Amino acid sequence: MKRSRVFNEVLLAVENISLSFGGVKALSDISFDIAKGEIRAIIGPNGAGKSSMLNCINGFYHPQQGAITYKGVRRSQMRPHEAAEQGIARTFQNIALFRGMSTLDNIMTGRNLRMKTGLFWQALHIGPAAREEIEHRQAVEKIIDFLEIQHIRKVPVGQLPYGLQKRVELGRALAAQPELLLLDEPMAGMNIEEKQDMCRFVLDVNDEFGTTICLIEHDMGVVMDISDRVVVLDYGKKIGDGVPDEIKGNQAVIDAYLGVSH
Amino acid sequence: MLYREAGQFKTTYGADQQIFPILQDRLFVLAVILAAFLVVPLFASQYLYTEILIPFLILSLAAIGLNILVGYCGQVSLGTGGFMAVGAYAAYNLWLRVPELNNLVVVFLFGGLMSAAVGILFGLPSLRIKGFYLAVATLASQFFLDWLFARVKWLTNYTPSGSVAVGETSAFGWKIDTPAERYLFILAFVVVATLVAKNLVRGHIGRSWMAIRDMDIAAEIIGFQPLRTKLSAFAVSSFFIGIAGAMWGFLRLGSWEPLAFDINRSFQILFMVIIGGLGSLLGSFLGAAFIVLTPIVLNQMPGWLGVKLSTAMISHLEFMVFGAMIVFFLIVEPHGLARLWSIAKEKLRLWPFPH
Repeated sequence: MKRSRVFNEVLLAVENISLSFGGVKALSDISFDIAKGEIRAIIGPNGAGKSSMLNCINGFYHPQQGAITYKGVRRSQMRPHEAAEQGIARTFQNIALFRGMSTLDNIMTGRNLRMKTGLFWQALHIGPAAREEIEHRQAVEKIIDFLEIQHIRKVPVGQLPYGLQKRVELGRALAAQPELLLLDEPMAGMNIEEKQDMCRFVLDVNDEFGTTICLIEHDMGVVMDISDRVVVLDYGKKIGDGVPDEIKGNQAVIDAYLGVSH
Repeated sequence: MLYREAGQFKTTYGADQQIFPILQDRLFVLAVILAAFLVVPLFASQYLYTEILIPFLILSLAAIGLNILVGYCGQVSLGTGGFMAVGAYAAYNLWLRVPELNNLVVVFLFGGLMSAAVGILFGLPSLRIKGFYLAVATLASQFFLDWLFARVKWLTNYTPSGSVAVGETSAFGWKIDTPAERYLFILAFVVVATLVAKNLVRGHIGRSWMAIRDMDIAAEIIGFQPLRTKLSAFAVSSFFIGIAGAMWGFLRLGSWEPLAFDINRSFQILFMVIIGGLGSLLGSFLGAAFIVLTPIVLNQMPGWLGVKLSTAMISHLEFMVFGAMIVFFLIVEPHGLARLWSIAKEKLRLWPFPH
């Protein structure tokens, strides 16, 4: 079933972003926006600059030109933890979980910005520290229920299979209760069932929590099915932007994917 | 009673988050602590106190401190001896210059706090450098602190050889003099310190350390601030190490010179942490026990077996066998003695059934 929804409010706007590493231009003059509440996909062939784009959005890379406006505020260079404080969470293309920690602890780290008690109370583990720990545990357990990973709660994530690790990583991002969730290839390397599960989670996150989602994905079936709008990058340039049906018929996009004789 | 957790249901998150969720573990640890306080003083000889129990407890505390930094936060340090020296000399100076505060608890905490401050200072490079390079930077701190206590005469109260001695010590009116009293005081201190360390590593701050250890870039992106996290690990770690250093000076040696805290001490503590298990408080105790006890056992072994060997031969053999044992344990279980212990517990949960 195809969803068609209308969004008015812009959550994040990217204006004329250019990013280069030495002589390599990773992104040149890219502009697009992400509306509040939508699922926005970024697609493109390998090396198109998709991950660089996400890294710019969450403050890990600093573009040489252009600006990013988030919630109406044009922002200058920011550190990644500042982006996290403003409500941007993400997952990574290559899983970036804390391998030595359990599933529960990994998801608990997602709530780090909300945990405020000082060293002294934590050392004694009484009063505010103990209360805070239990309060956040409750929030984390809701996410564990939501993602159906109760059985691996106490397992070190290094021992988990790939598909479950991806799910735990999504859980860690969700624990921060972000307004904007960036997913870098959430379905890469998964089999069809795992992909269906992950699609369901992404859609549910969007529906139930109202989280705006920006995702990078290579599986065109998934992208066309779940996203509201798609932006296409190729060699660091934007070659298409629109609803899935427009993108499917866009000649430049077809050429980029299938190759074309010049 | 078999080692089983079946039937122990947790109905609150608080119950699920306690340090030892399994009843048998709780009882076992309680029994060990009670035995250490009540049973050991019934039979322990002076030799057992001064050569085995006191060094074991103090070095365990130092190993806990280093484990917080290396095992939990992933920042390699070779400056442990230097930080112990800071704790010892800071405590000495407070004891010497403010006689009204002749309370060992206050004196030791002061030593720990000064060591924490120095630890923060020498932890600053950790923001930029990692791994081997950080090890070299902390090595520099070791040499600097060695130099400081040998050259700045005020710190050693202008004694000619730099050797300092402490006289009478007490805590809250309790005169701590005999080996048994010293043992009980240290034991109480170490039990409390271990509880504090456990609370820290299982809480929010411990997760921040482990996040930086496991994947520092991801940790920064989800909101941890690397500088603050690393420096808090340096501070807490040096705090424990400083207290251990003050204890080593006051209650183990009584009089000491800077050589007591040289680079060999740093290596000794680091070996304890690696052999015992990185990222495990239990491992700190196991590693300390291994490093303290094994040489003594090896040294006495020929006598027990009735083999007549020269003293020089015995000490050569001690080094060889000790070295071989370290290599053997690291090959068998690179994650340390603590991992062997947890594997044994896993097996015990199913015993006597194979699956």
